[in-house]
Amino acid sequence: MKQLPSKKLLLALALIQGLATLSSVVLAAEAPTPVAQGTPLHPTFALLDSEGVNVLESEAPVSTMRTCGACHDAEFISTHSFHTSLGLDDFGTTAGHLWDSSPGYFGNWNPLTYRYLSTVGDERLDLSTAEWVMQFGDRHAGGGPAATSRDGTTVLGALSADDGNPETAILNAETAAAQTWDWDTSGTTEMNCFLCHLVAPNNEARTQALQAGQFAWASTATLEGTGIVTREGEEWAWARSAFQENGELDSEYVTVQDPSNANCGQCHGLVHEDPNELLVQEACDDTNWESYTTGQIHSPQRINNSGLNLSEKEGLSRSWDIHSERLVECVDCHFSLNNPIFYQEDEDSRPEHLTFDPRRLDLGDYLYQPIHQFARGQSAQNTVAPELFDTMRRCESCHAAETTHDWLPYQERHFAALSCETCHIPQMYSSAIQSKDWTVLKQDTSARDECRGVTGPVDTSANTLVNGFQPVILQSESVDGTRSLSTYNLVSSWYWVYDDPPKPVRLIDLEAAWFDGDAYAEDIVALFDTNDDGRLQEQELLIDTDDKQALIATRLTELGLENPHIVGEVQPYSINHNVTNGEWAIKDCQVCHSEDSLLTQDMQLAAQVPGGVMPEFIDSANTIASGEIYQDENGALYYSPKPQADGLYILGHDSVTWVDWFGVLAVLGTMVGASVHGGLRIFASMRRPKLQPELKRVYMYGMYERLWHWLQTFTILALTFTGFIIHKPEMFGIFSFRYVVQVHNILAAILIANAFLALFYHLASGEIKQYIPQPRGFFGQAVEQTLYYIRGIFRGEDHPFEKSREKKLNPLQQVTYFGLLNVLLPLQIITGALMWGAQRWPEIPNALGGLPFLGPFHTLVAWSLVAFIIMHVYLTTTAGHTPQAGIKSMIMGWDDVETHSSASEEQN
Amino acid sequence: MQNNKNIWVYGLIVTLALLLIPIFVFTSRAAPPADSPWDNVPNRATSTDHTYLMEEPFETGQEVTQACLECHEDAAHEVSQTAHWNWESDPVMVEGRDEPISTGKKNTLNNFCIGIQSNWTGCTSCHAGYGWEDESFDFENTANVDCLVCHETSGIYVKGNAGVPVEGVDLLAVAQSVGSPTRQNCGSCHFRGGGGNAVKHGDLDESLYYPTEDVDVHMGRYDFQCIDCHQAENHEISGRSITVSVDNANQIYCTDCHNSQLHEDERINAHTEAVACQTCHIPEGAVRTATKTHWDWSTAGDPTREEDPHEYLQIKGSFVYQRNFIPEYYWYNGVADRYLLGDVLDPNIVTPLNMPFGDIDDATAKIWPFKVHYAKQPYDTVYNYLLQPKTVGEGGFWTEFDWNQAFILGSLATGLPYSGEYDFAETSMFWPTTHMVAPKEEALQCTSCHNDNGRLDWIALGYPGDPINWGGRLDN
Repeated sequence: MKQLPSKKLLLALALIQGLATLSSVVLAAEAPTPVAQGTPLHPTFALLDSEGVNVLESEAPVSTMRTCGACHDAEFISTHSFHTSLGLDDFGTTAGHLWDSSPGYFGNWNPLTYRYLSTVGDERLDLSTAEWVMQFGDRHAGGGPAATSRDGTTVLGALSADDGNPETAILNAETAAAQTWDWDTSGTTEMNCFLCHLVAPNNEARTQALQAGQFAWASTATLEGTGIVTREGEEWAWARSAFQENGELDSEYVTVQDPSNANCGQCHGLVHEDPNELLVQEACDDTNWESYTTGQIHSPQRINNSGLNLSEKEGLSRSWDIHSERLVECVDCHFSLNNPIFYQEDEDSRPEHLTFDPRRLDLGDYLYQPIHQFARGQSAQNTVAPELFDTMRRCESCHAAETTHDWLPYQERHFAALSCETCHIPQMYSSAIQSKDWTVLKQDTSARDECRGVTGPVDTSANTLVNGFQPVILQSESVDGTRSLSTYNLVSSWYWVYDDPPKPVRLIDLEAAWFDGDAYAEDIVALFDTNDDGRLQEQELLIDTDDKQALIATRLTELGLENPHIVGEVQPYSINHNVTNGEWAIKDCQVCHSEDSLLTQDMQLAAQVPGGVMPEFIDSANTIASGEIYQDENGALYYSPKPQADGLYILGHDSVTWVDWFGVLAVLGTMVGASVHGGLRIFASMRRPKLQPELKRVYMYGMYERLWHWLQTFTILALTFTGFIIHKPEMFGIFSFRYVVQVHNILAAILIANAFLALFYHLASGEIKQYIPQPRGFFGQAVEQTLYYIRGIFRGEDHPFEKSREKKLNPLQQVTYFGLLNVLLPLQIITGALMWGAQRWPEIPNALGGLPFLGPFHTLVAWSLVAFIIMHVYLTTTAGHTPQAGIKSMIMGWDDVETHSSASEEQN
Repeated sequence: MQNNKNIWVYGLIVTLALLLIPIFVFTSRAAPPADSPWDNVPNRATSTDHTYLMEEPFETGQEVTQACLECHEDAAHEVSQTAHWNWESDPVMVEGRDEPISTGKKNTLNNFCIGIQSNWTGCTSCHAGYGWEDESFDFENTANVDCLVCHETSGIYVKGNAGVPVEGVDLLAVAQSVGSPTRQNCGSCHFRGGGGNAVKHGDLDESLYYPTEDVDVHMGRYDFQCIDCHQAENHEISGRSITVSVDNANQIYCTDCHNSQLHEDERINAHTEAVACQTCHIPEGAVRTATKTHWDWSTAGDPTREEDPHEYLQIKGSFVYQRNFIPEYYWYNGVADRYLLGDVLDPNIVTPLNMPFGDIDDATAKIWPFKVHYAKQPYDTVYNYLLQPKTVGEGGFWTEFDWNQAFILGSLATGLPYSGEYDFAETSMFWPTTHMVAPKEEALQCTSCHNDNGRLDWIALGYPGDPINWGGRLDN
């Protein structure tokens, strides 16, 4: 109950805030209640050390757990925070690699940072807990693994010293031997509230303190530069001028705030908020993690107003990130999960009859125990705290996209298949890491790396020419099982592993293998120095022959590493920020619906393949890497997405080659057949005396029949034409894809309506009988008709069956039309309707093979229809006494039918 | 069943109609552009070549005017009805005054060269007339109207004291060049207000003669002339500024051509309820040439100080010039208060000479950008009003450096008594920033204002806090 008074204080604070809000609503007109920006509501407080004594008294380092814990439940906060835990909560579970020990930064090995967190039982100590804090603590908010043992039970200082335990040892870089680490001297690093909650925390000083092993002072160092503490050499001294007489901080030094973007940016990526200052960034600068891995830059600045040496920058009047521009802050989407302002009950648990449950956590309770588990998405590589995947606000949580995308055909289909990012992050205008090759070491013992999105050499002066890059589109699966395409950077890496089960070769061993002292080993120089200048340039650092690989492997084996071999991996890094608005987003259909579809754009993985080892996608990411990794003729490695393998069929891009070939051949074959047959007919008729047959005018086709026929003709022709544009849009550049799709759908609707009306007519009038072949004698009649086409027609014989209003179709026609009207046309209508329906009721088309089956099938039937039409048009020239007679009768209705001899006899 | 020969025509028409009408009806077409500003830009009249119409040699400007009037009979009379000639408005009622006031350059004070009374010859070199030397100038005599200053296109026409062409100007060549007013015509006076390039306005200077698009999008990107917006009828040129006018008649608005709801984003469109277009679209003033933002007359007359036209002149005192200044922002409903000769002031506070009217509760007011010019200028410590010194010409301060004498001579011209006691008081003058519109790519962004250190002082504007958190003025 010790906290009770402080809880009251918080409640009072909350009350004041509530009143302020209330009064602003009620009394605004008379007495607006101004709250100047940046003025913290936070009361003054004393800085306490770990014993709870005022630091002015003890001159000891500040303890955030004690200081902030005086009012807030610091214990609760630190145990409900994946920013402190960084995987400690899930320690012992493997993630992407066999040798991973957690899904978080503490234990999840990353080839970009390379150092490996050793676990109990590892013979060769790499990163101990203490060295992890020194090396990786710059991106850790303190607490968690920096304060507690890996099993979560013991404070680190209470562990017994043991140089065989990675929790209490450290690797001596000089001797390459493990030695004990004295946690009592270094102290431990508490959860650092200042880092995220002060206006100007000093992360640099904090990092220096961590690297120097002064863990207990890290929080104090964070206050450097605020005027609260000064540093003299290795020591910090509290500035009494910053404190009131009662030992509390002077109010002007209390700069506690909600985490700003800049706070988050310290660990997460480049945040640049001052519109008056030029944004500059070194290419592939690894100090800003997300900018380094994805190119994301959080800034409201217009790109053309930034200081980047970016090609074609002048026209880029869009901001780096529309949300930064529109003052949406990191914490607006990545909020504390029990923040009553942001908390939204899960759709699943909320009763259907409630749209909003107004019973919120009291503001005071929240301030006492704010959960520091933040709403998060499910980006690849950020695998910590998997239980919180997809808790954050995504685009659709705030944006009613359907209202702004009314121009987009097949809206639902697009929204289902694509994430918003696919179109709204069309391009990254900065550099990002492309590959890292740890199979070799540069002189400074770093890996050979390649930078994406730049031209020419990368230097550290921000002068490198940046071109930016187009994210690669991969399909990802969210926790609810839905899949959609989204934007990624792919980072490839190659490295040596040893032993079984394997683990990455320690950096210290790699150094020993490559270097004798400070210089490359002589046998390595001899083998790698291709230009024989006695030195190794960066471009010579590549394992491209078996000899080179064998040499390094031998040298590693000599160090006692068993079975050293090269492994390659590809990490997809999600790109979800640097969103742009509609003006700059992809709106042109043909960006995706064309031969060069964005969705199939290759991404280069590396310019060279170390050791010839093809890298594999790591399996901890939620991406579906169904594409293909291939090497071009120059040896560069690419990833080529294959959306078809993910069950997607992209109109205008995808086609099944054999279908198109079959279609072309069928059409050509029909044309050739008709030409040959027609040519022979002409030849035969020239050798035959012209006969003037006796004719009889018959009203062959009724008004409606003709209208139906010609409407169908025009519709099918137009459908074929528009369908062809949709199928191969790049061959018809002048047409708007979007418009053509709409027209195709409308035409289809007309076709269906026409077909149904005609069916009704034929049924009601009984004319349907004409289309149904009569079983009796049908075979013989069909043979007779076939013989006529093969023989009789050239001899000028009469048609074997007289055409009459009651019997317009000969047996062959009956079969053909039966096939056409009952098979091809319905099939085309059904497949077309299903493709259209993929947006409305996707389950049905999916159950019937999905678009990858329906699309090509629709194309196949379309080709068949085209072939049929050619055949049909040709055959009409055989139907009457002259070639045009058939067509003419279908237009005018009246046909001059030849009277057969039998009939003429009768007439006589 | 008739065998109708034309049945195929009807059939074709019906078939095509059945196809095309649904296509036409059901395809969604791109919405028509919300904004067609070019509809409101006038077609420029082609000018008649006057080379062979102006043949007699001209000795004086008045002779040229005479020649003009032979064809353009009403022109001089029309000009004589305008502010360009009278330098004074018709009487207008102004909030806070009992009777209508008539203001203009002719009779009011500013905080640059202070006022024209007793200083006519210097100031009236920019008058659209000839010979305004003293109070006796006859505004009824239209023979003195200067057609050339607005219509000549030769570029060699220069007016001197009292608006008379300087010695050596080839009036025939000038007269033969006449045409529609260009930026050069307007700019010859308006770009040099305050006695030099860029001094006065902050949004009008000689960079507009040949502007790039980042200086002024209308002139730079689309080659606008002044008169494309400042359209004239009967020589009455539209446009108003609170630096001389007290009414808001005949004003020009961005929305004369542009749709105020043309932004793609509804949030931005909502801003137009409370924010003038200029506020976002003119992010900075004086983008090429520094403009005067402060003038301290009290230091004038010191012969020992080093002179620099941008810092100190013995005749004028000390100055501050600023380039790329960030405007100050105030509510403004289109009209302003006006300090008139004889108005009593409190010397201990800054006296605004033309405070814009409007506040957060005034639905017609919007937040506007202003260049605010601050000055220390002389006032009578006994009567507590601003003084009109004689600066130009015989006995004037600029030759004698004797303030007392300058105020006595000034008092004779204005008729306002001078007690013999003077000091200097702070004044401010508000210049709405409305020219030099930047390309839309350079318009302000959200964070320019909605930011911890944003441009707008929300509290001073009357908001409880940043409206992005507190709601707009209609919500409060």
